[in-house]
Amino acid sequence: MNDAELVDYAKTLDCIHCGLCLRTCPTYQLTGNESSSPRGRIALMRAVAEGRLDASEPGYGAELDFCLVCRHCESVCPAGVRFGEMMEHARSALAAAVTAPLSVRFVRWIGFRVALRSRFVLARVHGALRLAQRGGILPVLGRAMGARGQGLASLPEIPPSAERRLLAPFTAATRTRQGTVAVLEGCVMPEMYGRVNRATVSVLTKLGFDVLTTRESTCCGALHAHNGELDQARELARATIEAFEKLSPAGSETAQVVVNSAGCGAHMKELGRLLAQDPLWAQRAQRFSDQVVDFSQFVAPRLPASQRLILEGSGEMLRVAYDDPCHLCHGQGIRAEPRQLLDRIEGVTRVEMRSSESCCGSAGIYAMLRPEESQAVLAPKLEEFAAIGAQCLVTANPGCQMQWQSGLARVNSTAQVVHIAELLDRALQP
Amino acid sequence: MALSGTARNELKRLLGPRGVVDSPIGRLAYESDGLALIHQAPEIVLLPRNTAECAGAMSVLASEGVPVVGRGAGTGLSGGATPVEGGALIATARMRDVLELNVVDRYARVQAGVVNVDLTQMCAEHGLFYAPDPSSQQACTIGGNVGENSGGPHCFKYGATTRHVLGLVIVRADGSILDLSEPQYEPQGYDLIGTFVGSEGTLGIATEVTVRLTQKPAAIETLLAVFPSLDGACDATSDLIAARIEPSAIEILDKLTIEAVEASVFRAGYPKDAEAVLLVEAEGSEVEVASTVRDVTRIARARGAIEVRSARSDSERKKLWAGRKGAFGAMGRIAPDLYVADVCVPRTRLKELVRETTRIAKEKGLKLANVFHAGDGNLHPNISYDRRNPDEVERVLTAGREIMALCVAAGGSLTGEHGVGLEKRDEMCLVFNDDDLRAMTLVREAWDPERRLNPGKLLPIRGCREARGAHAPSVGHGR
Repeated sequence: MNDAELVDYAKTLDCIHCGLCLRTCPTYQLTGNESSSPRGRIALMRAVAEGRLDASEPGYGAELDFCLVCRHCESVCPAGVRFGEMMEHARSALAAAVTAPLSVRFVRWIGFRVALRSRFVLARVHGALRLAQRGGILPVLGRAMGARGQGLASLPEIPPSAERRLLAPFTAATRTRQGTVAVLEGCVMPEMYGRVNRATVSVLTKLGFDVLTTRESTCCGALHAHNGELDQARELARATIEAFEKLSPAGSETAQVVVNSAGCGAHMKELGRLLAQDPLWAQRAQRFSDQVVDFSQFVAPRLPASQRLILEGSGEMLRVAYDDPCHLCHGQGIRAEPRQLLDRIEGVTRVEMRSSESCCGSAGIYAMLRPEESQAVLAPKLEEFAAIGAQCLVTANPGCQMQWQSGLARVNSTAQVVHIAELLDRALQP
Repeated sequence: MALSGTARNELKRLLGPRGVVDSPIGRLAYESDGLALIHQAPEIVLLPRNTAECAGAMSVLASEGVPVVGRGAGTGLSGGATPVEGGALIATARMRDVLELNVVDRYARVQAGVVNVDLTQMCAEHGLFYAPDPSSQQACTIGGNVGENSGGPHCFKYGATTRHVLGLVIVRADGSILDLSEPQYEPQGYDLIGTFVGSEGTLGIATEVTVRLTQKPAAIETLLAVFPSLDGACDATSDLIAARIEPSAIEILDKLTIEAVEASVFRAGYPKDAEAVLLVEAEGSEVEVASTVRDVTRIARARGAIEVRSARSDSERKKLWAGRKGAFGAMGRIAPDLYVADVCVPRTRLKELVRETTRIAKEKGLKLANVFHAGDGNLHPNISYDRRNPDEVERVLTAGREIMALCVAAGGSLTGEHGVGLEKRDEMCLVFNDDDLRAMTLVREAWDPERRLNPGKLLPIRGCREARGAHAPSVGHGR
């Protein structure tokens, strides 16, 4: 592999070093160091491509790893630099060019090759984690591991096995039928947030949609792509596309795929680009990507104006704050729909967080890999959340949900954390 | 002089491990500021958290005789924060605290690394704002603004940074601290603050800034006038100035700029078929605003505007401005690099000089876009290029020099708001003669006798007579 292939050189040239990205970057905010900023990382990539910097220099990989790939910089970049894509490319090429230590390769192999691809393994892992949690071993183990174990120690409670079950392959509409949609079940989602998946299906059926799911794919490959496993990501992308195509009868148009995880949605909307160089799949992937739609994006325009949404509670208004998942606002440009939906719920007062578009530090598996930095990124948001007196944090992505749950627990907050689908389901009468 | 190991350890002890960047990779990221044409890695980067840390670091560097360059966010466009070989870079990125907010006396005391837009957001709830609004305000720092005496569209009404600085804490070249932080509404004795603002890091490093906060106007109206020619927009501006109609900002964007902005995330709704648009903001009481809007509309129409419309909502107004401010970055879509010239011309001659800059670029086969603070006569010819093409780089530099010479000859000045830095250093001789420059050198040496602070910037290294073999007429400051 030559220097130029280590990074997406052409894309680095889009950056003219204006610096407008600096303030949005969570790692620059933490360190004040330019090599930990978007334009700094691009300068490093460019130096690698131009042969001025050796990619095997440890600091280079370290800066790539430090990035959360929240893509906030893309939302403010006047030159339209596609930073997320550049990072995926650079990480992937670096992994291929520079051999990581055996222990790291082993953990990655277990995680990406084995666990995320198998429902069976995922279920066993979560079952074991729950046992360890209940027996009080997990927090002890986590603490014993030091900084690295913080993620384990503060893992939100893993639901009992009865809740960790998959969705039915078919759920019928409970009102006048409007059509058929598919729902992405996800990999970690049914284990950690089966209730969110069920709420998603419930809202859709209440709106008159038959809901299909597929058991033929597990992980969509988003985590692989973000972490520099592009070949595996492509493999999983093909499997995902195939599985969803099968849900629709041959010759008919593929049903829209509703995704309740912002990270997966952003990735699936870009499969067309991921497989663009694959002549057999490029078109198919683009067709599939066009069918992918985020939960709020799908629901907001289909909720009849006459439909009342009422949150039964103590009689007092619930103060909720919506925190934009990065891959929903920066990755998919969806900001208005979740807010519109929340504003329609009677019994809810929505308060804005000024930092709602800043990363919460979850960033896929980042919170597990780098708990210290991840928590430091969340810290100012926790402060703002407390300062505005919100009682409930609403998100639209499982990673963020987990991050907020453990973050609020650490500061002994009693605020609840919910996915927007859960709140809507509660407010939408059957 | 190279930095000794003892000094490095001392700096790490003072600033903590995260406050010192001296790995090759860490240094590489600081090679240039917004003027990417010139790059030079620093020997070491220091990130102090407060005045005491900065002063401590500065005295270590003084004892080692190491040159020092200050840096805010590195968004400057004249190379003011470009490192010098073997020198240290002191960046204020970790100095982001607001130290005091006084909404009654309307001032704030902030650390130098506070981002311009954060200051304005912070005092918004009190009906106040910080007036200087450079296009890079989403990222640039108050300390950097002080160094460059930065402007921005609304400086047409409110004046550049120097009009808004009431106090400073300065770390001097020897590491001593000069505390002028008490707000001074009128200079007493020598105006040290006035001298310091715009000194481009050659007199010291500002670590704390006391700034004036301005009251938000009762009414604001933003107008977009669409022109079938760039000439028309320039003429309309000259007419507005001649008629003494003074809105708070008058900006021009030409067709190429509009195309770039409309293709970006800052898409503002500028009409893509226009040859130029005039973006005008009127502020004041309802009555004043209404009268300014009438006058601007009349004059724009008289100069051929095909449409004059007002922003219908606050969000549309913000979009129109975000588009204008994102214009520089949006040019990244046209070519990998961008050279932004920054000259001032008499506002009665806008059309003629804009035409001339266009001609210069055309002659050299360069792509030029015009987006500028028309009301101030502050032109920003934007030339797109690719730094990997040495011939093109040479043509860009020549064009830049010719544009500067042209504007100075027309009675304008070298810089409107971006500072002199490295980019325009040698052109200082177009404006000043040896006596003028000697006087400036004396000021510089009074602050920094060893000339270790931002050496090689702002003032020509050798006298102009030697450099040019010709005596430049003394015409004094442009603005």
